[in-house]
Amino acid sequence: MGRYAIRRLLQLVPVVLGTTFIINYMVWQLPGDPFAGRCGQRPCPDSYVTAMREQFGLDQPILLQYWNFLKNLLTGNLGTDFNGVSVATQLADAWPITIRLALMAVAFEALIGIGAGVLSGLKRGGFIDNVVTISTLFLLSLPIFVTGYLLQWVLGVQFGVIEPTVSDAATIPELIVPALVLASLNMAFTARLTRTSIVENLRADYVRTAVAKGLSNRRVVGVHLLRNSLIPVLTFLGTEVGSLMSGAIITEGIFNIHGIGGLLWRAINGQDYTIVVPVATLLVLVYLITNLLVDLLYGVLDPRIRYE
Amino acid sequence: MRVTKGAKIATGTALLALGVAACGGGGGSSSGGGENPRAASGTVYIRGCEPQTGFVPGNINETCGGTINGFVYSRLVKYNSDTAAPELDQAESIETTDNKVWTIKLKPGLKWTDGTPVTAKNYVDAWNYTAYSPNAQLGSFWFGDIVGFDKVNTSDPDGPDGPKEAPKPETDKLEGLEVIDDLTFKVTLTAPVAVFRTKLGYTAFAPLPEAFFKDPEGFAQKPITNGPFKFVQWDHNSQIIVEANPDYPGPEKPKVKRIVYKMYKDDNAAYADLVSNNLDFTELIPPSALAGDKWKADLGDRAIEGQQGVIQTITFPLYDKEFGGNADFRKAVSYAIDRKTITEKIFNKGRSPINGWVSPIVEGFKDGACGELCTYDPAKAKEYLAKAKAAGYTPPAEFPIWSNADGTHKDWIEATVNSINQAFGPDAGVKFVHKDMPTFAELRDTITQHKIKGAFRTGWQMDYPHIENFLNPLYKTGASSNDGLYSNKELDEKLHEADTATDPAQANALYQEAEAMLQQDMPAIPLWSYGLQAGTSKWVTGVKVTPFGELDPLSIAIKEA
Repeated sequence: MGRYAIRRLLQLVPVVLGTTFIINYMVWQLPGDPFAGRCGQRPCPDSYVTAMREQFGLDQPILLQYWNFLKNLLTGNLGTDFNGVSVATQLADAWPITIRLALMAVAFEALIGIGAGVLSGLKRGGFIDNVVTISTLFLLSLPIFVTGYLLQWVLGVQFGVIEPTVSDAATIPELIVPALVLASLNMAFTARLTRTSIVENLRADYVRTAVAKGLSNRRVVGVHLLRNSLIPVLTFLGTEVGSLMSGAIITEGIFNIHGIGGLLWRAINGQDYTIVVPVATLLVLVYLITNLLVDLLYGVLDPRIRYE
Repeated sequence: MRVTKGAKIATGTALLALGVAACGGGGGSSSGGGENPRAASGTVYIRGCEPQTGFVPGNINETCGGTINGFVYSRLVKYNSDTAAPELDQAESIETTDNKVWTIKLKPGLKWTDGTPVTAKNYVDAWNYTAYSPNAQLGSFWFGDIVGFDKVNTSDPDGPDGPKEAPKPETDKLEGLEVIDDLTFKVTLTAPVAVFRTKLGYTAFAPLPEAFFKDPEGFAQKPITNGPFKFVQWDHNSQIIVEANPDYPGPEKPKVKRIVYKMYKDDNAAYADLVSNNLDFTELIPPSALAGDKWKADLGDRAIEGQQGVIQTITFPLYDKEFGGNADFRKAVSYAIDRKTITEKIFNKGRSPINGWVSPIVEGFKDGACGELCTYDPAKAKEYLAKAKAAGYTPPAEFPIWSNADGTHKDWIEATVNSINQAFGPDAGVKFVHKDMPTFAELRDTITQHKIKGAFRTGWQMDYPHIENFLNPLYKTGASSNDGLYSNKELDEKLHEADTATDPAQANALYQEAEAMLQQDMPAIPLWSYGLQAGTSKWVTGVKVTPFGELDPLSIAIKEA
């Protein structure tokens, strides 16, 4: 078990090296000079372009640039972005907000999605099942920006229940509606996934055995059925954490949340690789670590799974 | 339940992460009730965005930084918010006899926010710093008219891409700048420039205090300034706070205590905050609200409409045989664009068709410089297309008009392309299409390297409100933004004559003549000028928007309860 975790952690090293190199390479291969678009309709002064290229090492060969990037990353010196603002500070400001938002969204997905899935799976064809099926279909067909603008307009502007945008502090109560919006689509996925899984496992031998042993219904469902049915859902939710952190750009824009999504968006538009590369690297790490956690959690849910 | 050791670690870590994420946060602001919530603190909130550079005026060339810098720095000249006319601000007088040697006298008693006086030396030092090429300031070229510029600003012999480096300049002081006494300095230009006085209101001509030169980088993040507002705090990607400067000497004082420049990533979010009175001003009403004049219904008397000094044009690569066309071809295209319908349908009248190459709100504007060439006339379009072909130009089967996909240009270019194709008819032998490059940077890169295959969208946002600003940088041979490489000797001569004219009225007349000369070759096709749509919350009053499309910070006031 411990050896398995260590081996997985060691595997992270080549994966991180490989992905960061690919990210670096792709960013540098982008057409257009990052400083050419900075002066509007006028060409930028030569002295400015030369000085900026020199400052950010754009005049060096790619491998050397990558080496410098690794060196800076390991020493924790992320330098400044093209605007001259510390990258580390910007990341430190934005990450907690994004993590808060993503975890709240995943929590909503898990609570509401799994809850609805279990209820509808147990009473297949019943009233609740129909309600869940129809409402998930509705949610699945709405793109996130529609849900976002709709809730913002109705709750924020028309009824004034919430502020239309989130303040700089982005407190938990303020993030409830954005997190719901962010979770809406995948909440529906989770519910459907759970439902299918429950329906399938209801017919499994071990459930019949448990019922035959005379266990209470609560124990059959809560311990035997649910634990086994959650494995595919957990896989889904685990990858969700990663994608929610990078994919919150739309929700962050609608509610003006100063998180990673907006930072990344601005940086990509300005070809500011000083921000794009560290953010992408961090996202790679988030994906890898959540995947590892998910793999380890399998063992909790299903004792048959062993780690060699 | 049997839990393995590894799983305990895993769940423990997940819980820890939740706990960490739950920490932090703080209070938010809320509004509501009958009382004016702005009255107690004297604070107003306006829409902003993250500046690309620090608070060094000579290094600012974009609106996010330009707007907030305009609040904290005063210059020699400022532009009237209503008429766009230049007025003396920090200068007591700006005198010249020949438009070549200018004597500038400052008002006495002006102060920086650290208490030191504003002197002639502050201006001269700031200008020298910006012009000196090793300092790599974006605004360096603004001082190109001053004697000795070539000695302080050397250019790279083979451009930034080449292996050679720019030689170190001989000196770091412009020969043409001379401090006479504490409040007076003299500027000598290489040639007479009629609009020099008007130019002095541009951001790059602001002064810098002594403190700047000790620590330029620290200063850029926390500047000492001389304007109506003083800098307080900059939270990157979030907000900038400025406060009224109690020592501001101008006749009109700030009416609010504090302005919070709140950054938004999405215009729609800012608009939602404006409608619900959480934000007091935005100058960017999103297209979704402009559609069907929804914003006027939402905002009522809080809607502000106006004009700003920005025009849209389509430029042809005259250096390219295939896509440069000939004069008759470009005229045919101009005839084929239904500007009126496009501005009505696509922009909801938020833009107005123009009849010349100059924004209607600037000094020296004369209506109708384009003549009938800028009116929609499909019959004439066909006629000129036939003429162009008769003169030996065969247009390519597919003629692209380029734009950048990261802007909002798709709709109008497609409408324009359709308009041209309809006017030309199906058997014209040329079909216009809209093509996108992914980013503005890539589009500009291709344009400035003169490699673009097709016509391309160009927009010009004025630097200062004068007809000259729409002609010299764009159409003079070898000018910095002459993207199509247009060259016309007669036009150059006329522009030179206008530049050197000593009488402003005569200069303007000459510029107008020069503008009318663009009719001959149509190097760029004028389309429309940008209107201005802004809105305020119900808590503020008196708001004025400058011809640059920015808030006039002295105008905004909090309503009495």
